[in-house]
Amino acid sequence: STSQVAHNRNAILVSHRQKGNPLLKHIRNVRWAFADVVCDYLLGQSTCALYLSLRYHLLHPDYLYYRIRELQKNFKLRVVLCHVDVEDVVKPLLEVTKTALLHDCTLLCAWSLEECGRYLETIKVYENKPADIIQGQMDTDYLSRLTHALTTVRHVNKTDVVTLGSTFGSLSHIMDASMEDLARCPGIGERKVKRLYDTFHEPFKRVV
Amino acid sequence: MVQFHEHIITDLLDDPGGGLVVLSSGLALPKLIASLLLLHHPSQGTLLLLSPSPSVKSSILSALQLQTPNPNPNPQIFPSEISSDLPSHHRLSLYSSGAAFFVTARILIVDLLTSRLPPSAIAGILLLNAHSLSDTATEAFIVRILRSSNPSLYVRAFSDKPHAMIAGFAKAERILKCLYLRKLHLWPRFQVYVSQDLERDPPEVVDIRVSMSAHMRAIQKAVIEVMDACLKEIRKTNKVDVEDLTVENGLFKSFDEIVRRQLDPIWHTLGKKTKQLVSDLKTLRKLLDYLVRYDAVTYLKYLDSLRASENFRSVWIFAESSYKIFECAKKRVYHFGRLEVGKLVGKSRSATTKKRKLDETNKVKEDSLPPTSVVLEEVLEEAPKWKVLREVLEEIAEEREKQALPRVEPVVDGEEDDSGIVLVACKDERSCMQLEDCITKGPHKVMREEWEKYLLSKIELRVLPKHNKKKAKDPKGFGILDGVIPIKSGQKAEASTISKQEHDALLAAAAEISKHGKKDVVVGDDPQPSAESGGRAKGRGKGTCRKTSGCVPVSVERHSTSVNEAATNDKPEMLASENGGQRNETNPVVGDIFHEREPKVASLDKVILRKHCQEGDATSLKNAKQLPPVHFYALESNQHILDILKPSTIIVYHPDMAFVREIEIYKAENPNKKLKVYFLFYEDSTEVQKFDSSIRRENRAFESLIRQKSLMIIPVDQDGRCLGPSSSLDPQPITSQNSITRKAGGRKEAEKEIQVIVDMREFMSSLPNVLHQKGMRIIPVTLEVGDYILSPLICVERKSIQDLFGSFASGRLYHQVETMARYYRIPVLLIEFSQDKSFSFQSASDIGDDVTPNSILSKLSLLVIHFPRLRIVWSRSLYATAEIFASLKSNQDEPDEAKAIRVGVPSEEGIVENDVRAENYNTSAVEFLRRLPGVTDSNYRTIMDGCESLSELALLPVEKLAELMGGQKAAKTLRDFLDAKYPTLL
Repeated sequence: STSQVAHNRNAILVSHRQKGNPLLKHIRNVRWAFADVVCDYLLGQSTCALYLSLRYHLLHPDYLYYRIRELQKNFKLRVVLCHVDVEDVVKPLLEVTKTALLHDCTLLCAWSLEECGRYLETIKVYENKPADIIQGQMDTDYLSRLTHALTTVRHVNKTDVVTLGSTFGSLSHIMDASMEDLARCPGIGERKVKRLYDTFHEPFKRVV
Repeated sequence: MVQFHEHIITDLLDDPGGGLVVLSSGLALPKLIASLLLLHHPSQGTLLLLSPSPSVKSSILSALQLQTPNPNPNPQIFPSEISSDLPSHHRLSLYSSGAAFFVTARILIVDLLTSRLPPSAIAGILLLNAHSLSDTATEAFIVRILRSSNPSLYVRAFSDKPHAMIAGFAKAERILKCLYLRKLHLWPRFQVYVSQDLERDPPEVVDIRVSMSAHMRAIQKAVIEVMDACLKEIRKTNKVDVEDLTVENGLFKSFDEIVRRQLDPIWHTLGKKTKQLVSDLKTLRKLLDYLVRYDAVTYLKYLDSLRASENFRSVWIFAESSYKIFECAKKRVYHFGRLEVGKLVGKSRSATTKKRKLDETNKVKEDSLPPTSVVLEEVLEEAPKWKVLREVLEEIAEEREKQALPRVEPVVDGEEDDSGIVLVACKDERSCMQLEDCITKGPHKVMREEWEKYLLSKIELRVLPKHNKKKAKDPKGFGILDGVIPIKSGQKAEASTISKQEHDALLAAAAEISKHGKKDVVVGDDPQPSAESGGRAKGRGKGTCRKTSGCVPVSVERHSTSVNEAATNDKPEMLASENGGQRNETNPVVGDIFHEREPKVASLDKVILRKHCQEGDATSLKNAKQLPPVHFYALESNQHILDILKPSTIIVYHPDMAFVREIEIYKAENPNKKLKVYFLFYEDSTEVQKFDSSIRRENRAFESLIRQKSLMIIPVDQDGRCLGPSSSLDPQPITSQNSITRKAGGRKEAEKEIQVIVDMREFMSSLPNVLHQKGMRIIPVTLEVGDYILSPLICVERKSIQDLFGSFASGRLYHQVETMARYYRIPVLLIEFSQDKSFSFQSASDIGDDVTPNSILSKLSLLVIHFPRLRIVWSRSLYATAEIFASLKSNQDEPDEAKAIRVGVPSEEGIVENDVRAENYNTSAVEFLRRLPGVTDSNYRTIMDGCESLSELALLPVEKLAELMGGQKAAKTLRDFLDAKYPTLL
């Protein structure tokens, strides 16, 4: 049964309570299996999810609270996967939000069963994935870095970066350019000139 | 002051509560405001002018200056600026001084909330941008707070952008309500008083239609075609209302708003292509605009930049007609071909024209050129308006002479104050400078200079690695070996390779020619197989040597120093004098063929004129005709130029509706003055179309406003405290809370006030406003961590949907959540959808089959996995957020202001003063600094301590940087980045 364990480690374990949930049809990128688990979906060693349809919540407002209480302190990440399937969401969502927040659960909202399924899949698949795709590592080539820096100035776009670069030749020249020189660049109007100039020439710290 | 201004003011003063004035653009709103300021007396209390733009501010000030008698008895009427630089106690004393001030909404709301500003000290508020208000705007927030504790206060709102007042459903009505105003005053140009005043004695108008050159027309046609194609594409997406999407609308800036307003609700669900189309349309609009504003060379340069920056994504660049845009733009500037022992090999696409043209050139040149050669001819088409401008100026001068001769006496009394200055109004500063040069130096010289600059900028730059890659695909030496570039679709890269070669050669020539005052260049090129091989920086260097066959190497690093040297060396080989001579004959012919479709006379004229006038130009400038004094004025700069200069002749170089009105007002104010106005339009251009439709559009806007006004339902309750803006929208949550709103609006009974600490920067958004409506006390401070602190445990980072996508991409969100989680027990990410947009990320059909890293679901999941303690709040709207906040706070302690400020601030910075930190920094400079390579979270503060500004940083030597950045390596990284030569992309 070691193979069984290994097998289960790569699969989402689904509680028997979820039998008949049409959501299961949409878990396709990851294997899943029924098992005796206290949560609805076991997504990793210490990651679990509870499924809640807002419509169901309207009928049984206490359900979520009891389910969360059952989980006890066994999981590091406890997801409440909320299927938004009613039109008038504000009130029920407020209740769900409050319950989840005060009982250490992370609320994820999904608007379709496909989306619900996708969240479950993703959390399982990304179980051990590093966070670099959301840490904003950008391209390290010169142009991207230059664009990244210059576009902090409002309304300056990529074309302007090229214009500035090819007109002044290097960043230090751009930073030292006079207003008039900036104004001579095609596509850079008065407002942009002023913004650029102020960014470069106003002191970092304003004198109080 | 014009009479109808008095009418406006009387109407406005009728209602002690104030009113909303909408007037046609250009009807001198700043003067109107200035008159109002003159009526203000300090005993009434302080008058605040809310959020004027800098240009409006300065025009109000100059209008005031003009309206006050000269030794000014009361300097107080000149409003000064309340800025964040002033310490808070100083601000307090200003607020209660009774004078008039400019202040931004953000500072004002913070001062109101922190009780630095006693509402009773305020007599009234002038709002200058009424069209940009909404129910949840900070301005509305301010008015609500002020009104509730000071009912006698007046609010006078103004707008001179009527078309912006009709954007959205019943906008005017909603603005009135949110400012608690009841009166809407409409002053269109066609209003009886206005038109009476302005048409009593209208200026003399001369309308000159200049025809565009054939290439300009071709470009315009092509751009419009592409625009149309893009619009069709957008329509295909079925996501927008087709009605407003016309090319005519596409000419206006507001078109973006139309599209965005429609697409915003579903923006995050749109595909890349649709988004690209929207931005393409914007680009195309600019192209049309610049076509009539920029000279041929600058236009080409702009196109080059565009191509370099957009290459990969944009749809339009690959459209059929776009090709024509680039081609024609190039043809306006130069013309490039190849000759090979009598046989023609050109790289331009239309075989027939090319052939003919080159045949011609060939005949003339054959003898003087090496057998195989690259020929680059300048066309340097001048803007047709330039010539006309000059003619008009000459005509004016002539007329004046005539007038001056016969009647010496009458002139004196009639035009005493006549400065004789001719005012030329054009769109931007750039055109001003250029036109001035045109008049003083002659158009040809201007084109020449632009052209040389263009060449220099092309050559000076190093070849980008990317570029090498592109070239590497071609077999080495391929291009030149057979002298043909047979690749059809990829030729762009290829073509630019070639042109770079010639530019290389041209550099030397250009330098020499500019030195010797010559005008024309021909470069013979004798390429050998090896010549092309590199295409890299080095290769080019070699290429140059060879080209000028035998001349001293014009080496790669010729940027500044070697130019002269090269020039002198080149001289003998350049055959400059001969070529110059030839060129005079050659070009007209070529030009003629080029401008086939143009009326023959015109084109010949133009070319010949240019060619002949090397000396002619200069002399004609000096002795031919005396030009009147000319002043160039940029419409963008928004100065009161007319009142200062008092011109008697105005040439409107770039027609603009608002400026036309200004002229009318100027004339009405000076009825004795003779005024002649020339309009220069390009015939059949989008310029005319745009001018006409801007007038139509404004009239339509007013008609719609007049209709709206007749149907408007405005509550009678003047204080507006019962029927506030809250009742007009989002009824269900708010109405039940109305009693609380009322109390909090008064902020009198604070038995159990709930508090929220809000970051200063959040006052750009509307949430603080809504929270306040809901009865919470807002404490504005500068927070290092989080946006809202609800309790000692709960810290909230708010993200609108667009922010969410953006800050996932930049990594900012990760960082923010990380610090929140470090300092607070319950870090919360608030995902706020907006009321009028769909409440979902994407539709089920857009989800796709696989788990992909780019999907928002994946990013959110990853965030959740990495921060299991992060709580996410999904909010339907601002109002829902307010309720969620209230309920989350219900059994929590109130947050501690002093503690919240300190969180996340590095301890070495010492005591944090209880003041506005963010406002004491040049935030965009700081952000810019932090994005430079080598700069990290740990060293950017010391950098800021060690040097004043970015421009200073740009000059610091690496040793000093190392000292500031705490490391040689980081310093070197930064220094290298700053000094790196910008690579050519073409």
